[in-house]
Amino acid sequence: MKKRNWLLRLSLSAILFYLASLPLSAQSLRISGTVKTNKGELLPGVSIIEKGTLNGTVTNTSGEYKLEATTADPVLTFSFVGYKVNEIKVNGRTVLNVTLEEEVLGIDEVVVVGYGTVKKSDLTGSVATVKVEPLKNTPANSIDGLLQGRSAGLQVINSSQDPGAGSTVRVRGGSSLRGSNSPLLVVDGFPLGEAGNLKQINPADIVSVEVLKDASASAIYGSRGANGVIMITTNKAKEGVTTVNVRQQTTLSQFSSELALWNDPVLMAQLNNEDRINANLPPLFIGEINSNGVYYPSIKELQNGEWPHFTRWDEVVFRDVPVLNNTTVTVNSANQQTSFNLSVNYFDEDGVFIRDDYQKGIVKLAVDHKIFDNLTIRTSNLFSKNFRNNNGGLAYYRNPLWPVYNEDGTYFLAGKNDYSHPLALTNHVTNKNNGLDYISSWLVDFQVTDYLNLKSQVNYKYGSSISDQYYPKVYTEAGDFNNGAAHLSNWMGQNLVSETYLTFDKTFAEQHKVNAMLGHSFESSLSRSSSLSSYNFVNEATGNENMGSGDPEKNVHNNGYSSTKLLSFMGRANYSFRDTYLFTATMRADGSSKFGANNKWAYFPSGAFSWKAHNESFVKSLGIFDELKFRLSYGISGNQGISPYQTLSRYGVEQYYDNGKWNTAIGPGYIVGYEGDSYRFKIWGGIPNVDLKWETTTQSDLGVDLAFLDRRLRVVFDYYVKNTSDLLRERILSLSSGYNRMWVNDGEIQNKGFELSVDGDVIRKKDFNLSASLIFSKNKNKVVSLGNEITSGLNTDYLTGMKYEFWGTSLSNFRQNPNILAIGQPVNVFYGYKVDGIIQSEEEGLAAGLTGAMAKAGEFKYLDLSGDGAISDKDRTIIGDPNPDFTASLSLNAEYKNFDLQVFFNGVFGNDILYQNMWGGQPNTMPLRWTQDNPTNNYPSLRQDRTYYLSDWYVKDGSFVRVQNVTFGYNYRAKNLNWLSNVRLYVDAANLYTFTKFKGYDPEVGTDGIYWGGYPRLRKWTFGLDITF
Amino acid sequence: MKTKILSLFMILGILVTSCDLTEEPYGFYSEDNFYKTPQDAEASLMFAYNALTFIEYSRGIFYIGELASEICDVKADEGYGSQQLNNWTADASNETLTYFFKYCYIAINRSNAVIDNVVNSNFDASIKNRLLGEAYFLRAYNYFNLARVFGLVPIQKNMVKSISQTSPHMAKNLDELYDFIIADLKEAENLLEINQRVGRADKVAAQALLAKVHLTIASSKESGVPQYTEMTAAVDKMYEEAAAWSRKVLYDQSHYALDNNLLHIYDVDAPNGPEHIFIMSGDRTGLNEGNYSKIGMMFHPWVDGVPFYIKNPDNSFTYATNGWEVFQATTAFYNTFAETDKRKNDLLTTQVYNANGDVVGSLGGKVKYPFTRKYVDPQFIGQKSSAKPYLIRFSEVALIYAEAAGPSAEGYEWVNKIRNRAGLGDLAPGLPVADFRDAVVQERAWELAFEGQRLYDLRRKAMVLDKDPRAIAAGITEAQAAFYPIPQMEVDLNVNVSN
Repeated sequence: MKKRNWLLRLSLSAILFYLASLPLSAQSLRISGTVKTNKGELLPGVSIIEKGTLNGTVTNTSGEYKLEATTADPVLTFSFVGYKVNEIKVNGRTVLNVTLEEEVLGIDEVVVVGYGTVKKSDLTGSVATVKVEPLKNTPANSIDGLLQGRSAGLQVINSSQDPGAGSTVRVRGGSSLRGSNSPLLVVDGFPLGEAGNLKQINPADIVSVEVLKDASASAIYGSRGANGVIMITTNKAKEGVTTVNVRQQTTLSQFSSELALWNDPVLMAQLNNEDRINANLPPLFIGEINSNGVYYPSIKELQNGEWPHFTRWDEVVFRDVPVLNNTTVTVNSANQQTSFNLSVNYFDEDGVFIRDDYQKGIVKLAVDHKIFDNLTIRTSNLFSKNFRNNNGGLAYYRNPLWPVYNEDGTYFLAGKNDYSHPLALTNHVTNKNNGLDYISSWLVDFQVTDYLNLKSQVNYKYGSSISDQYYPKVYTEAGDFNNGAAHLSNWMGQNLVSETYLTFDKTFAEQHKVNAMLGHSFESSLSRSSSLSSYNFVNEATGNENMGSGDPEKNVHNNGYSSTKLLSFMGRANYSFRDTYLFTATMRADGSSKFGANNKWAYFPSGAFSWKAHNESFVKSLGIFDELKFRLSYGISGNQGISPYQTLSRYGVEQYYDNGKWNTAIGPGYIVGYEGDSYRFKIWGGIPNVDLKWETTTQSDLGVDLAFLDRRLRVVFDYYVKNTSDLLRERILSLSSGYNRMWVNDGEIQNKGFELSVDGDVIRKKDFNLSASLIFSKNKNKVVSLGNEITSGLNTDYLTGMKYEFWGTSLSNFRQNPNILAIGQPVNVFYGYKVDGIIQSEEEGLAAGLTGAMAKAGEFKYLDLSGDGAISDKDRTIIGDPNPDFTASLSLNAEYKNFDLQVFFNGVFGNDILYQNMWGGQPNTMPLRWTQDNPTNNYPSLRQDRTYYLSDWYVKDGSFVRVQNVTFGYNYRAKNLNWLSNVRLYVDAANLYTFTKFKGYDPEVGTDGIYWGGYPRLRKWTFGLDITF
Repeated sequence: MKTKILSLFMILGILVTSCDLTEEPYGFYSEDNFYKTPQDAEASLMFAYNALTFIEYSRGIFYIGELASEICDVKADEGYGSQQLNNWTADASNETLTYFFKYCYIAINRSNAVIDNVVNSNFDASIKNRLLGEAYFLRAYNYFNLARVFGLVPIQKNMVKSISQTSPHMAKNLDELYDFIIADLKEAENLLEINQRVGRADKVAAQALLAKVHLTIASSKESGVPQYTEMTAAVDKMYEEAAAWSRKVLYDQSHYALDNNLLHIYDVDAPNGPEHIFIMSGDRTGLNEGNYSKIGMMFHPWVDGVPFYIKNPDNSFTYATNGWEVFQATTAFYNTFAETDKRKNDLLTTQVYNANGDVVGSLGGKVKYPFTRKYVDPQFIGQKSSAKPYLIRFSEVALIYAEAAGPSAEGYEWVNKIRNRAGLGDLAPGLPVADFRDAVVQERAWELAFEGQRLYDLRRKAMVLDKDPRAIAAGITEAQAAFYPIPQMEVDLNVNVSN
């Protein structure tokens, strides 16, 4: 933000300098003087504007200026970067010497909070401001992913590298199980939805990001505030200037580590044979055609080079250099009545896979117009369109002994059921998506009196998407089974928010400052969807373009609808006494259509107290603190993370064969899921719960803000405890009820931790500045209660009696869910067996309680924790925790003359990763197997029919420190050109290097800690050009 | 000016404040928008019947009714608690029993939904009577199944609409449970007309089930089965009732009758034959299992994993799917049939053929056990077939009558009709009552084999230990064999139930 002001002022100065050299009219007043700092130094380059005109000048190298005023009673505005603006009435004087006071960094920044703004120094709650300028050096589809490591207490995970992919965002840990854990995202006062993929807003248009963390700050958003709130403000034109800004970013990507591939075909074949022979299966590589009709060369053929094929599939499926282009053109202009801001963005990203693409265009126009001095209308309209061609997940690990093509030029397929030929899929599968978003916002701002302001804002958002898919008869499983499969899906969603609020702001007797807000909000959202599927095509030429040509008996139609309403009233009162004791109280009442009939209204109060101790004389006298401020807050916020219609009874629709035909049968109970072997048994829901309500989060926060050494060292510390109760869970019902499950409020989770931010201006010189920011967050998460053991269907840990339930994603290779929710443990801990290396002799295996093939040498030595002499599920225990102990980041910024350098490190510490695919045909681990000649304790023998238990053998330390960004920039300040004001050139390297012990491609995994493989993280080199006219 | 602006804001504010937070269902049916018309009620009645077709229920009929008897064994690696059932070691966590219990209550809840919503409606009397009659029948049918499998169970008399109704009280004793069942059936019998329709029940079905219920009470009490011995009704009275209700079926109507063609009874495309008083619905064109069935595959041998042909008595061939060998007839049972019994020679298959008529498998080889051909659908589509569980056949009612009436002339007449049809001679005349009844029960074993009946006959005659050596091997008593325990999930989740 600072930089931007400085640039604008500089450009302004240049324009004015030019204007000042033009001949002026005769009857003007000639004013001259010098500008000094409060330390008495003469200040060159200060811009001086005659208020209300385009007339102005700048001070010369001696701090002197001359100006001919054009108006009758002129007022001059003196401004310079880093100094407070000074506005002086000339009052007929011809000599005007001015002193500019240095601006105290940060303290008078205005911070956006819910339904209002507040001076940063007057904050009573925990609100973090993210410096957005450094983020803009890295092009991104949305700002969410860039926020990683930029604010204490804000956790961002970018586990997907697909173009256009979103991020996982958490504020102070997850507080819900079945509801959402993503913070609410509010853009220019418009609650847009959950954080994660704010693709509609160009990051270049964003001027500030605030994170409301504690209840005092977030409870004003009531039933959506429990996960924290991220407030985003987009840019607006500044008065008196017209600027045109062009930003161009081009990014070239490369893998940051090597792909694990087979380089030696002989070794690959030998190990594959060994794997099968050890399992008493016939080996494949014996120079014969196997049961699928595919010829596998013999080891000998491979050794003597008779086999002609060795395909580098990675070169087939990956782009050499994926390119991203991001272009933004912004036009800002303003006069006293009207200002406008036009921003056009085009974003074009290549995926790492061939023909995997994403494109997006955004046009945004914002206009402010002052109808009267006290009445302003403001509108912002944004149109965004995106296109995605999805061709991800191609098999770069395909058998290198297979050629791409047969001799006749057709694709080489390994048998009839080969559905993974990368080029066949690329050329014949259709999988694309078109999205469109429109966001419109209208605000009336009425300054009723000097202390009373009334704002009314209406926001509308419309989004739609259409996706097309076609799976051909050959090459794909869906197409093969159905003789061609075509899909067409439509979705539209709209959101209307209307808010009106009154703000009272007045200081009484100079020491009682009161700021109060009262308002209401109404929100209505609607989404509709439909999908068509057709199968069994005679001719595939039209793909999914003519779905009527499929077999009419196999057509499937689906449609969906969901509508919710939220009506709210909110109020806030701030009172400060002598600018030393500050009190805040907030209240919100939410009425939601999603809640049960007995609980339609929810109330969310909060309170906070802050003491600016640095304004007390006894602290002042110490002479140490520029700021010493204590904050204490407590409040309640909610999470209405239930889907609509969960509180109503719901009937099922089935088919009954009666009278020789199928009839529609309808009645109480519908299938909500499946369970048991092959998911053959139905789970029934549909019983209404008129008591269903929001999840309640109570949060206490204790914070200290410190500043020392002329505010060159600033520290913010927060400790918080966050308890979420009434968790939305499914209760298991008695068999005789005729249902299985119903939604209830039951269970509790706790998050507590502390956050520390340290900012320091290490060096502050005329030509050289160096600053550093350190951010540290520690969150400890605990499942306190999961409701009744029986009605929640909890399992009991045999060893400790701990109650738990399986959770998350089931892994088919282990036939179990690796994550559990266990009372007293963090969410998502891993549950499984313990392994003590590899069995070296059968006696050792039998002694360990293993039997049969599992007791042989080269097998895993599972531990018999229960001591019953056998390995069974009684021996399972907690084997890992995917939640980090703490996260930390460090950013360093240096400026020397026209050059600047930023280095950003981000680290995650003490989390476990389930490296589930570290074994099993992997080229990097397979050769390390146990054999008689290599009695390793690290890897088992190769045996293809081995049954694998989920064990701590797969659990690895996921700590890492990443050199996330290094940016080097050069700024050219065009002093003597009137058409150009500033040029910035920079190079940004994202994901330059990662320090980690983790052996997979990348340690950044989802909150459940499961590693899915994929491909290495991309290192992205961005070349940026930023020109302001 | 200021006033104008302010009033504008206020209007805006009021406009958006007047909103209703009530949620209206969209795209799904719910108690708010359903049961408005007879068509709605008809759809909900079919919904109730459909509960029987889910595999949790329909497969349970065989897992429970056949495996825990001397006539049927189970494949060695079959799951779902089937090994426990087969070995008489089933406990309260048995998967099949748990699901069967649950789905009886799903059917009951769906029946209750029809009753609760139709009983006070102003639908046309004829429609209303039929809807209610079928719903009462279906509720009674399911409580009777629960009583036979578990003994005392909780009674749920109304549709469950809130959590407060999810812990129904246990029946105090079997009198309470059976009074409820009999009252429902009498109501159904009174309301319904004779109207044969595949997958639906009519007046005759209610009469037949009344006969069966009374016979169960009579014979169980007579045999000293626990819980039944405490029932107040006299054994003779119950036999009389059973005879009287079955007599109505045999003598007072002419729509249903014995089918003289044994194979025709099991013709998958003739489910509306004269024998089928109550048969499950389904068709091979269905989308989900339940809508179609795989029962044939459960009984048929694997052979070579390809469909085969079965030779008919007239030397023609019938195409049949290969199977999974889940339900395997025991050799001991096979050997109880008389040499000339057509139910052995025509209905139990020991040889299979290919399209050319060559034998591709025979008993002792690829046909590991004699398999029933009651569930052959020659027009099967993949694993889908129209084979249906036979729920109440006219032949069974004939045998109920014979057993209830005892060795009277009419009693002999009906059991002999069944025997003669199967190619057997008359039953030895002049048998004492007990011997006659035992002979009829043995006749049931042959006639109703693999129709999910045998366990209940063993139990009500207290001859589980006598007939099934696996029960002896399991070391249980006859009293323990009489009922399965209430499923543990129900004990855990229903505060009004304990074991």
